[in-house]
Amino acid sequence: MGIHSVGTSDAALVRRVQTGDTRAYADLVARYRDRLGRYALHMLGNREDAEEVLQDAFVRAYRSLARCDDPERFGAWLYGILVNRCRTAGARAARRARRFVNDPAALETAPLAGPDGRADWDDTVRWALARLPSESREAFLLKHVEELEYEDMARLTGAGISALKMRVKRAREQLQAMLKETERV
Amino acid sequence: MDDVIERIARHLRRPVQVDPALDGRVMREISALPTPGGATMVGKAWRWLRRPRQFTMTPLGGLAAVAALAVALLLFRRDSTSPAPPQVASRAFQFVLVAPRAARVSLVGDFNDWDATRTPMQRTGSDALWTVVVPLEPGRYHYAFFVDGSRWLADPSAPVARDDDYGAPSSVLTVGGGGDS
Amino acid sequence: MKRALAGATGPLLAAILVAAPAAAQQVDPRLERLDAATRPVVAALIDSARTASLPTEPLVQRALEGATKGAPEGVIVAAVRRLAVDLGRARDALGSTASPAELTAGAAALRAGASQTTLAMLRHARRESLIVPLAVLADLVSSGVPVDSAAAAVLSLARRARDADLVEFRRAVERDIALGAPPAAATAAAATASAQSVDVNAGARPQRPGRP
Repeated sequence: MGIHSVGTSDAALVRRVQTGDTRAYADLVARYRDRLGRYALHMLGNREDAEEVLQDAFVRAYRSLARCDDPERFGAWLYGILVNRCRTAGARAARRARRFVNDPAALETAPLAGPDGRADWDDTVRWALARLPSESREAFLLKHVEELEYEDMARLTGAGISALKMRVKRAREQLQAMLKETERV
Repeated sequence: MDDVIERIARHLRRPVQVDPALDGRVMREISALPTPGGATMVGKAWRWLRRPRQFTMTPLGGLAAVAALAVALLLFRRDSTSPAPPQVASRAFQFVLVAPRAARVSLVGDFNDWDATRTPMQRTGSDALWTVVVPLEPGRYHYAFFVDGSRWLADPSAPVARDDDYGAPSSVLTVGGGGDS
Repeated sequence: MKRALAGATGPLLAAILVAAPAAAQQVDPRLERLDAATRPVVAALIDSARTASLPTEPLVQRALEGATKGAPEGVIVAAVRRLAVDLGRARDALGSTASPAELTAGAAALRAGASQTTLAMLRHARRESLIVPLAVLADLVSSGVPVDSAAAAVLSLARRARDADLVEFRRAVERDIALGAPPAAATAAAATASAQSVDVNAGARPQRPGRP
C-alpha cells in the first residue's frame, strides 16, 4: 500500500481518516501491524489465528474510530482492542481444541523463524508460554515483552494492579519452574 | 530480572513480520464501511469528562542466545470439521519430550499395554524434540517415557501417578468428554 | 441419600483378596508377558473381577506395567489385587451404571484417600461424566491437599463446572502449592475463583466503556 507520509503523527492520521481520507488508515495499519502482530502471535501461539485477530482488531478499530477519545494515543487504544480480541479468540480456540484430529502431521506447528535459527529454544519458549493460563500469559507479555507499566496494563485489561502483579509473578515463577533444568537426557 | 525470564523476554521481543498482505485485506474490508466520523459535541464532552492517562509503548528489545533445556509437553490441535460425536470419541494427543542427548525414546503406558516397542517417538523439528501422536478415548492413563532402553522419565508437566506401585516414575493423563487434565 | 456403600461387593472382595489360583476360562494372551509364577495368580484375580462385572482392562494394564518395569511377582500381584478392590469399592459408591473409565478414576480417588461417601455425593451432584472430577480429586490429594478440602472443593464445583473448568482449577491449585501456598488455602482460593469463572462463562460479562 505504501506510506503516504512519513513521520505523520497517529493523531494526524486518525483525524484524516475521520474526515474521510480512508487511505490514511493504511498508514496506521502498516505502522502497527508488526508490533501488534507480535503480541497476537505470542498470545495465541500460531500465525493464522494471530493474523485473523489482528485483521479483526484493525477493522473494529476503524469502525469505532469516532470513539477513540484521544487520537494522540491511538496506538494504546488499538492495543486495547487487540487484547480483547485475543481473549475472545483464545476462548474459541480452546473449545475447538477438543475435537478429533485425523492428521497427526497437521499437529506440528512450524517454529517461529528467528534470525538466530535456534529452533529448539524457540520451541521451548513457545511451549512454556502456551502452558501458562491465558491471564498469566497476557500479563507476562504486556509487562515483559510489550514493557507496559502496570497502570497501563490495568487500563487495557480492566484488571486491578494487584491482580496483574500477581499474574505476572505467577507467570514468571511458572516459566522458571518449567524451564528449570530438572533432568538432562 | 531473573536470568531465565530475561532471556525469555528478550527472545519474545524479537521483531515479528506479519504478512504485509494483511494491510490490503484490512483496507478491502473497511472500504465497505461508512467513514467512522470525527469529533462530535458528544465526543468532546466525553473527552472533557474523562481524564486521559499517560501511555507509552517502549522500544523493542534485542535478541539473546539461550541453551536448550529438557522439558516435556502435551499439545492439542483443533479440527476445522464439525464437532466430534458424543459419548466415546477418541482425541489425538501429541506427546513431546525434549531430549537432545537421547538415541531413542518411546512412550509407554496404559494405552499401549506398557509395550516399549509399540510407540516409538520421532525426532521432530529440531534435534532436541521427540514427538508422537496417540488417539485416546476418555479415561485415566498412566504413562512414562522410556529413554534409550534403560531409563524411565515421568512427564514433568503432568500430574505424578501417586497410585504407582512399582517405584519407577509415571505420569497421569485424564481424558474427559470435554477436556483433559 | 444414604447408600449401602460397603455391602454390595463384600463377598466378592473377599474372593478377590483370597484369589484362589483356579484355572481361568480364558487367559488374556497379553499376560504371557508375566512369568510362569505370576501369570496364574493375576489371571485368577482378573477372572474374579470379571465375574463381579468389574472392568478388567485396568487390571491387565497394571500387571503389564509391572512386567515392563521388572517388578517381582509379589509386587505385581499386590498391585493388581489392590486395584481390583478399589474398583469394587468405586462401583459400590458410584453405582452399577458407572462406566469403566469412571470406575478407574474412582479407584484412583479412593486410593488417594477420598471416601466412598464423597464419590457417592459426586455421583448425586453431577449428571455428566465423573471421569474428570474424580481424577481432579485424586490428583489434588496426591498433591498434598487434605482430602476433606479437596472433596469439598470438587463437590462445590462439580454441579456446574465443565471438565475444562475443573482441569484449570486443579492446575491453579498445583501452581499455587508449588509457589508455597498451603494446600488447603490454595484449594479454597482456586475453588472460589473457579466458581466465579463458571458464573462468568455462563453468560455474565462485564461491560467496559469506550470499547467497540
